[in-house]
Amino acid sequence: MANPKTNFAPAIQVFKPHRASLPPLIPYLKEFWRRRAFAIELSRFADKAEYLDSKLGKVWLVMNPLLLAFVYFLLVTVIRGGSTEKSGLSTLAHILIGLFTFYFASNSINGGALSITAGGRLILNQAFPRALLPLSSSISAFWQFLPTLPVYILVVVIGKLFFPHTQIPGLRLSYLWAPFIILCVGITGYGMGLLFATMNVYFRDTNKLLSYITRIWLYSSPVLWRPEILHGWHKIFLYINPLGPSLASTSDVWIEGRTPSLGMLVGSIVWAFLAVLIGGYFFISRERDFAVRI
Amino acid sequence: MPEELAIRIEDLSIKYKINIDTKKTLKNAVMRASKGEKVRTRIVEAVKHLTLDVPHGSVLGIVGANGAGKSTLMRAIAGILPPTEGQITVNGKISTLLALGVGFNPALSGRDNIILGGLASGMSRAEIEEKTEEIADFAALPDGFIDMPVRTYSSGMYGRVAFSVAVNMTPDILLLDEALSAGDASFKEKSFNRMRELCAEARTIVIVSHALQTVNDLCDSAIWMHKGNMLAKGKPEAIVDQYLKFLDVGTLPSNLEDM
Repeated sequence: MANPKTNFAPAIQVFKPHRASLPPLIPYLKEFWRRRAFAIELSRFADKAEYLDSKLGKVWLVMNPLLLAFVYFLLVTVIRGGSTEKSGLSTLAHILIGLFTFYFASNSINGGALSITAGGRLILNQAFPRALLPLSSSISAFWQFLPTLPVYILVVVIGKLFFPHTQIPGLRLSYLWAPFIILCVGITGYGMGLLFATMNVYFRDTNKLLSYITRIWLYSSPVLWRPEILHGWHKIFLYINPLGPSLASTSDVWIEGRTPSLGMLVGSIVWAFLAVLIGGYFFISRERDFAVRI
Repeated sequence: MPEELAIRIEDLSIKYKINIDTKKTLKNAVMRASKGEKVRTRIVEAVKHLTLDVPHGSVLGIVGANGAGKSTLMRAIAGILPPTEGQITVNGKISTLLALGVGFNPALSGRDNIILGGLASGMSRAEIEEKTEEIADFAALPDGFIDMPVRTYSSGMYGRVAFSVAVNMTPDILLLDEALSAGDASFKEKSFNRMRELCAEARTIVIVSHALQTVNDLCDSAIWMHKGNMLAKGKPEAIVDQYLKFLDVGTLPSNLEDM
């Protein structure tokens, strides 16, 4: 009876009881892939609805992390007791690119965490792979992150005009690593978004807790401080942080102008995999329970 | 499952646990754990041992009082709520209209919401773009409303758009929960005609309705549910009759519509 014109879900579907276990993964992932347009459009339409009447709202998306970066820069400079002209710009640039990248991950996690509880009516009334909702939040976070890159480049270009002897590199081949690292950050953010989205269904105050976690996470990540300050066994702090290796790599690529170390690259990939595997397992094995708990 | 069946429900039971304690928060969970208290829950048996076959091309009506388990059953058929026992086999693409305007964003126009609604129910972008005009025409909103934000719509207009999306995505199985109250008399007529067309194309419809006349007019079989049990199954007139007797309100014409 399946409509021959449409490429729809398997014609015969069987719904059986389950006990917190994974559904058959191949059909799930096929359906997830088939419906990806829904996640993309949901994010696009949510964005359209949010900024329909306020074009300035979009500017704020860039201004917010930019101003925060200046605040942190002042803070770091004051704590350090001032800085030389030479290191000042690179400190600012490091904080800027680190904060923009960190915000990409944290927006993805925070948006993802709320996506299930906020999508209550949709979940109660339509059957689809629920992992599409946090994906939609991650896509939104990416579109918010993208315009911050030209802002970073603009700040660096202007900065280099005033301080030509700064260590920040011009165009380098190492920049080719940037898309890969951004991808790792995106996947890690999505995976953690899946995890916190599941938690938020069971404990509705998870997102409040998340705001504290995010703050501590930011301070313990190489955003306000350079990854080089860690030596010896202290480097473990970079590796146990899911965003540590990718943020350290970000700093390598954009500030030092070099290829990230193999350890950091492997760390970024491992965390991206772990986040999606663990987050995905918790989420997908419990998602059939969401409609009951929403 | 025999090929002529669209839906087969075998010994289906659905139970869920309701948390009586107000808020499900980490804070409350920690507080309770520190006091050694347990969460107070209640098990609700929404559907009890239901067995039912629905052949292709038929229209099944489900009647019953509030809390009978009608909506839970619909959600289980749609694959939204998992069965606790038994199983449901569905043969064909399902379209659901279990609540009006699900997935609609009030700040967006009707046209944007048609695209979003179509994608939410599983259409591809190309399919929904091809059908947007047809769906907009079917909804037949007053001049220009289709390009205005949905928040400016009357509830009738809102319902018309939602209904149009559900019936125009050519589902094999259409699940409608109280959706027929959308729109005025002429739209209702149009909806009925569209549903009859769907049936003629051997598509299957399951309707939950309190408007008993609708069940009589549209359905070729009906079931009566009460507190999770299926009390009766048969011709719609007979089922509606039994249900009305049970309600003890007689069979006055005024009771037949919009109860």
